[in-house]
Amino acid sequence: MVAVRAPRLIAVAAVTGAFLLPLAWTGLAAVGVLPDDSTRPPSWTGPPTLDHIAEIGVAEPTFWQELATSTVAAIVAACLTVAVAIPSAFALARSRFRGGRTVTQGFLVLASLPVMAYVIPLADLSRRVHLIDTFAGVTLAEAAVTAPLAVFVLHGAVAQLPTEWEEAALIDGAGVLRILGRVVLPLIAPSVAATLVVMFVLDWNMLLVPLVLTSGEVKTVPVALSDFFTFERELDWPTAAAALMVSLAPLAVLVGVFHRVLERFVLQAPAGRDIG
Amino acid sequence: MRLTRRDRLLLFAPLAILLGGWLVVPALVGLTATLTTYTPLTTSVAFARWQNYSDVLHDPQFAEAVRNVAIFTLVAVPLELALGFGIAYLLRRPIRGRSWWRGLLLLPWLVSPIATGVMWHYLFSGATGVVNFVLGWLGRPELGSPIGDVRLALATTIAIEVWRVAPFVTFLLLPGLVAIPEERWEQATLAGTSWFQRIVKVALPEVAPLMLTVGMLLTGQSLGAFDTILILTGGGPGTATLTPALYSYDRAFVTNDWPAGAASAWLIAAGVAVVGAAYIRLSGRWSR
Repeated sequence: MVAVRAPRLIAVAAVTGAFLLPLAWTGLAAVGVLPDDSTRPPSWTGPPTLDHIAEIGVAEPTFWQELATSTVAAIVAACLTVAVAIPSAFALARSRFRGGRTVTQGFLVLASLPVMAYVIPLADLSRRVHLIDTFAGVTLAEAAVTAPLAVFVLHGAVAQLPTEWEEAALIDGAGVLRILGRVVLPLIAPSVAATLVVMFVLDWNMLLVPLVLTSGEVKTVPVALSDFFTFERELDWPTAAAALMVSLAPLAVLVGVFHRVLERFVLQAPAGRDIG
Repeated sequence: MRLTRRDRLLLFAPLAILLGGWLVVPALVGLTATLTTYTPLTTSVAFARWQNYSDVLHDPQFAEAVRNVAIFTLVAVPLELALGFGIAYLLRRPIRGRSWWRGLLLLPWLVSPIATGVMWHYLFSGATGVVNFVLGWLGRPELGSPIGDVRLALATTIAIEVWRVAPFVTFLLLPGLVAIPEERWEQATLAGTSWFQRIVKVALPEVAPLMLTVGMLLTGQSLGAFDTILILTGGGPGTATLTPALYSYDRAFVTNDWPAGAASAWLIAAGVAVVGAAYIRLSGRWSR
């Protein structure tokens, strides 16, 4: 089998390398290793330096604060999404009603709805109820954007569980919230963790919601990045590259730490298969 | 277990409040407002029926945007699915450090769409870019950035979107491919089928429903393509990469034509609804 495996490993490495090449290029620029086109053949400038990371704070004085805002907003929004999605996913998986499957798939369609479709009136309504430019307004809107996907994924996780434990707890006189918290939640904990990570990534990278719902008070990193271009304030490349790498780093670390748990982010339970 | 009406109400209430307040109600209020002369600045409002929609649909710029997003979606989504499937297929059997490869491959998707735009802006530009560096090595003259070229701009934004999204497709498809029982592969191998037939006869039928679901997500997101293009080209040159989402944003927040912005945004929702209805029908047929 070794003979068969080695080419596949090479193929995987080649594909991964090709996809990561632009990021590697950016990573090199972030530490000051830049191509020099003036020589033939082109060469590199060096040596590596961390100066450009410090320069981010000069080019965009509030960058580090924006990084903190992004982090807190994404954590709050992701937790809110998952907290709201768990009971609904449970109720959806344990209710038998006509059109139940359509409702579940409807959540996926809602998840694929671009934010642009409703963010214009949302901004107007938020202004009228004074939620514009507030942390609560941004995080609630972000949580709503990602909630349908969380419901869909967690519904799949609950639907796969056998119901015996729930029935047993019911006979013991446990209420529905107790059953959800003590019986179901521990069993779907890996899926919940995986969903939290993916929601954090989506919230962290979201542009339109914070862009349209704030005018500077709750500025996140994507909004800051968009500012540089919409207002024609060009960053120089090493500083931009450093900012990109710094804003990617937390997500890379998160995925690195949770890479095993992330296998539980499953869009569709392998249905209709005879298990055992 | 059986849930009572009260249980269900209790369990669904938080989601209903969140989605109702921050998605459904704004969307419906927006729809109502676009049927009138409402803008956030005016005080008197009159019923206007479909006038705003008629205006948008007769705008040649919007027609361009629809054409672009149709091409974008019809090219990008199949490419993302095919490439994502191909990589997942490579990873389906255990190889050394599979979950690490899977994590590494997810990196392009972790870069925010906006940062993707910033990054490729520089990668394509003359002095700093990877393209001209390679050309320089080969002793070839430098090229201008393809995002500034009317003929290449849309194709370039599609390529960048595929680069960002295909790894995410791999991430979503891999669990489905891994779940295919080993006997299926063994049977197919014993029957002497080629690798191509194994993909068509073993892998695709098993992951087809999952690919349909992933395809729905990708299609919806493509129909709303915005962030990366905003940074890369802003819809240009001319209207070469203009999308309905960019059009809506521009009308609502830049040129202060709120009714046109909100109405064209609703047309994106209508597009997603049409695709979504087809998706629900198809997925129902498959699950039976």
